Amino acid sequence: MEPSAAFELKAVVHLIRPWGAPARRLDELRDGIASGPVEVLFNHTVQYQLRHPGADELPPDDLSAWIAGVLQDRETAERLSYAVQTRSASASSVRAGLLEVLDALPPHRQASRDAPDEGAFLFLSATSVVVSTGIAVRDGHELAEALAGTDSSVWFYHLVQEPWFLEGRTPLLDWLATVGEHRLAERLRDAAGAGLPIERARARLLRYWRRSRIARHVADATASPEDVRREAGRHVIARFVRRVTRSDPSS
Amino acid sequence: MTLVNVRTDGVPLADGYRAIIGDGPMRALESLARSLRGHRIAMVNSTATGGGVAEILHRLVRLLNELGVPTTWEVMPGDARFYGITKTMHNALHGGPGVLTREDRDYYLEMNRRAAETLALDADLVLVHDPQPAALAGWRRRPGQRWVWRCHIDLSRANPDVLDFVVTGLAHYDAAVFSHVTFVPPLPTPGYLAPPSIDPLSEKNREMEEQEADALLEPLGLPRDTPLVTQVSRFDRLKDPLGVIEAFVLARRQEKAHLVLAGGGAEDDPEGETVLAEIRERAGTRKDISILALPPDAHGLINALQRRSAVVLQKSLREGFALTVSEALWKRRAVVASAVGGIPLQVIHERTGMLVRSIEGCAFQITRLLRDPPLRRKLGGEGREHVRDNFLHPREARDYLALFAHLVGRAA
Repeated sequence: MEPSAAFELKAVVHLIRPWGAPARRLDELRDGIASGPVEVLFNHTVQYQLRHPGADELPPDDLSAWIAGVLQDRETAERLSYAVQTRSASASSVRAGLLEVLDALPPHRQASRDAPDEGAFLFLSATSVVVSTGIAVRDGHELAEALAGTDSSVWFYHLVQEPWFLEGRTPLLDWLATVGEHRLAERLRDAAGAGLPIERARARLLRYWRRSRIARHVADATASPEDVRREAGRHVIARFVRRVTRSDPSS
Repeated sequence: MTLVNVRTDGVPLADGYRAIIGDGPMRALESLARSLRGHRIAMVNSTATGGGVAEILHRLVRLLNELGVPTTWEVMPGDARFYGITKTMHNALHGGPGVLTREDRDYYLEMNRRAAETLALDADLVLVHDPQPAALAGWRRRPGQRWVWRCHIDLSRANPDVLDFVVTGLAHYDAAVFSHVTFVPPLPTPGYLAPPSIDPLSEKNREMEEQEADALLEPLGLPRDTPLVTQVSRFDRLKDPLGVIEAFVLARRQEKAHLVLAGGGAEDDPEGETVLAEIRERAGTRKDISILALPPDAHGLINALQRRSAVVLQKSLREGFALTVSEALWKRRAVVASAVGGIPLQVIHERTGMLVRSIEGCAFQITRLLRDPPLRRKLGGEGREHVRDNFLHPREARDYLALFAHLVGRAA
């Protein structure tokens, strides 16, 4: 592999800042969504995923959670959740989707429910601080192994944040295609877009990747001499025995 | 002596945190620290002992040095008059009564000017904590430096006159950091949010075997065969201890349980003593309520108490951030708490705990959780992961380093 083909992995931290006036009703929320910078939309409809990487189930986006929990308007909350889920490819798309839902409400409904002062929706903006991890991967194998061990923000940055800000373009997947790993690229796209918490999406991808390597390992092993295969078999059995004895509480 | 020497013995903190949050997040923190190589940080506050800020700084300064970012900690000297003035400021910023006279303001500024001459503040990045040393930047800032003010106080109901006095001085800062969005006043400099955090390695939060917890709790004579419902908080009306008793009495009609109200501050706080007396009167002769007035260093006991509890309450009427919630969640406890201040950031309703808005709601959720141990385990498990991801010291260190990297243009 050419050294120039290496892809550098980056992590991200978000600096959160207040933005605009608080919203107490749906029409005020709508105005904030319409006029807020993309960093505000990003924080409330995308970045929340990074706040719950290890959850069993991804909580709703901030906007739907507020409408359901504070305004107690479950129908509108469901529709907004759906808009975020299906229109989240980019800032322009998600903004249009959210406004479609809110503009479709009759005017009396937009102003019918008031949140108490302490329950107002407070718009926040996320400024990204992108940090080099110092890890450069050269092929799909190195990428899959690196993604398994790095911070969840690495996954989030390359597979969620970058495509969102770049209107669907994903530099990591583009690079994977250039090194011939089309299937892994496809799997990564699917895993990142499955609406799962990051750790579960990452685990699903790794399961696929490791399973897909079995056939290659077997093919490689059949080409090895008999004594090498026997030695490899001994290692596998020894590892298995160690795992069993370690997990035995009586040992 | 203004420079604080931080303890560095024992296992490196970075190793301890790595074992808890995992290698990936620690490596991300190390990457951020690497991006700041060549920069020095100075922390400044007004005390080396006592209080949450000093507690955090002892850990943070050590961690940053372990990560390769040279960090010092300077304590601003003061005298009785200065501390009297800053106490008034503190109370007024919290929304309490307090007036700063012209002489008070002049003396405060003069003490900051004198401290600016003596403190070692030549670092590239200076992080000033709370209002006492906030005026230092005006006297001491040098070209090329970045100054950040970290406010640990809830300013949402601050006395406007005192707030205006503090905020005017912030024009000399590059940024200000607050614990919660509602605490951010109109500022002459960009304001950022960084929730506070707990230390999973501290005496209050470290792992504790059941036997050790039993030994610590034994002298208290709490029942072993009855689930405990506990609120750990100062004896303060804003923590609504009487509301807690009312909610418990309602829940107790449905399920067997024992209430523990554990707190401190009664000895040196006249109002605390009054509130404690009110609580004792309301609890009367009930055998199913224990009121524990704890000394300020009862960290191990609080740890044991939280771990033994089936349900932990934080039924506050107003809150700053309420880190007691994160402490309980970290111990996998089922939490019932009011939706005020920073609590909703920690308790995601029905996922990491239960948010309530009334005494009846609180009683309902206590009963529900007492009847449903699997639900308690589920909430506790999710709560622990939520705290691991968002409310431990390494995350706070990460937020500061990211802000510094942003300010000095060192991000990738």
